[in-house]
Amino acid sequence: MSTLQMEFRKIKRKWIGLTMCALIGVQFAWLLWAGSRPNETERLYGWIEMLYSLPLVSVIMMPTIMAVLASRLADVEHKGNTYKLLKTLRRPGALYHAKVVCGGLFILAVSSAQFLFIIALGYARGYAGHPEWKHYGAAFFLNLACCLSLYLLQLLLSMLFFNQMVPLAAGLGGSMLGLVLMYIKMYSFLPWGGFLSSAQVTMDWNPETRVIHFYYREYSSVELCALAMIFVWILVFYGAGRILFARKES
Amino acid sequence: MPTQNLVETHNLTKQYGKVCCVNTLNMMVPPGAIYGFLGPNGAGKSTTLKMILGLVRPTKGNITLFDTPVNEQNRMKLLAQTGSLIESPSYYGHLTGEENLRIIQTLKGCSEKDIDEVLKIVRLNEARGKLVNHYSLGMKQRLGLAAALLGFPKLLILDEPTNGLDPAGIQEMRELICSLPQAYGMTILLSSHLLSEIDQMADHVGIIRKGVLVYQDTLESLHAHSKEQIALRVSHTKVALDLLRQDGIEATQEDGYLLFPMVDDTCVANLCRHLVAQNISLYRIEKREKSLEDIFLSLTGKENSL
Repeated sequence: MSTLQMEFRKIKRKWIGLTMCALIGVQFAWLLWAGSRPNETERLYGWIEMLYSLPLVSVIMMPTIMAVLASRLADVEHKGNTYKLLKTLRRPGALYHAKVVCGGLFILAVSSAQFLFIIALGYARGYAGHPEWKHYGAAFFLNLACCLSLYLLQLLLSMLFFNQMVPLAAGLGGSMLGLVLMYIKMYSFLPWGGFLSSAQVTMDWNPETRVIHFYYREYSSVELCALAMIFVWILVFYGAGRILFARKES
Repeated sequence: MPTQNLVETHNLTKQYGKVCCVNTLNMMVPPGAIYGFLGPNGAGKSTTLKMILGLVRPTKGNITLFDTPVNEQNRMKLLAQTGSLIESPSYYGHLTGEENLRIIQTLKGCSEKDIDEVLKIVRLNEARGKLVNHYSLGMKQRLGLAAALLGFPKLLILDEPTNGLDPAGIQEMRELICSLPQAYGMTILLSSHLLSEIDQMADHVGIIRKGVLVYQDTLESLHAHSKEQIALRVSHTKVALDLLRQDGIEATQEDGYLLFPMVDDTCVANLCRHLVAQNISLYRIEKREKSLEDIFLSLTGKENSL
């Protein structure tokens, strides 16, 4: 517990919370801009459409946000050359775990803010009815899991590389990959594709009537495998990070 | 197997690929000592200290701390009685000196009062509220020492603690380190590539060369090697050696010379007369003085820089 407490003391004056707010603010601005003046039909399907948009926004924004978070948390140690001291005071596994939990709490805060924002936005725009809590709860949980898997990947890179450009480039690359490969099925199996495989809503667009129909999708066995990959990545990145950090000589 | 030493390494070896950085090193640090670990740059000093602290895994050999062989299970428990400053000091530049120490104090689980005390010891009391990024190098080094002192450990491991300091800072740091064993009963294992530094601070010395511990004893005994000697070159060395020994002079034979400790001029004259009387021809009489530097260079090799 004291190791985790120290993680928060270490990042005093680093303004990580503020950085997260700024980055998540960009997401909010995007969501505010998209569908800012909904018509009656859009209000009718507002809640379900929001669940469709959210993974798309996340797949582009979250890899970068996770890269920044992991880099900020790891960089305080690299800059002061502190691992060689910390490893004489705590087991490397405990130090790594504290970084994971500390980042995890930030992710929880970011994800909560994200969902609270879209719910507030939905009510402010006058969407019909209420959010379907079962789907919103699942989306929240899956979004959290996707962010965690990406954070663990980024933390692994940030702790192993002194030069933080390497993990940051990986984060930006993940975001770019999201833009380019979004509609390729295999992409869902990659760590950055988790947001897409976790999307519960899909749509039909009729080119003649130009009407979009949103609906909750039925998961095929391949899609379920892609969904399970999110949790496999969490375990793989956590295990690899813990082992590699412990093995790394200071 | 219980030992008398606070730190012991047995055949400690570290190999990176084909390069052997530390080779079957057997170090012994007695309790209460200031052990100077001396060697040229790249000799393997830091690697050895890092292995003792568990920061580098040995390829072979084992380490005993406080009479207990170190293993993965007890490493943290044993290191809890140890403070260290390896190479450059570790710090969080965006935090104040006091905030830095508070983090270490919490992780060490020692008393909060220790922070005030160590800040006083390293004379950083007035700069405790200043961001460490605004500290000078000497202040950062003293903060590193303060962090190592937190909890007043039994063993302090300092790797080149005066590196990068100005002459005044070096002197201040030396005085501080020398005062610790008496004031707090600490044992200090200190590495340096400067012979003069070890000469001023240590009472025990270990000299490492290319990963091999080539000398280990008290500093006094190292100094004994540097005493003046008389060297004689004679026609019958063996006979002369026996004669000198009969006269109660502890002489040794080296490179065709007879060597014995410095005696007064009258004694030298009498000895020469005695040897000549025995039909031994006297070719040369030399006064030899081996400085500490000469000894260090002969042990570490002249090709290595100091």
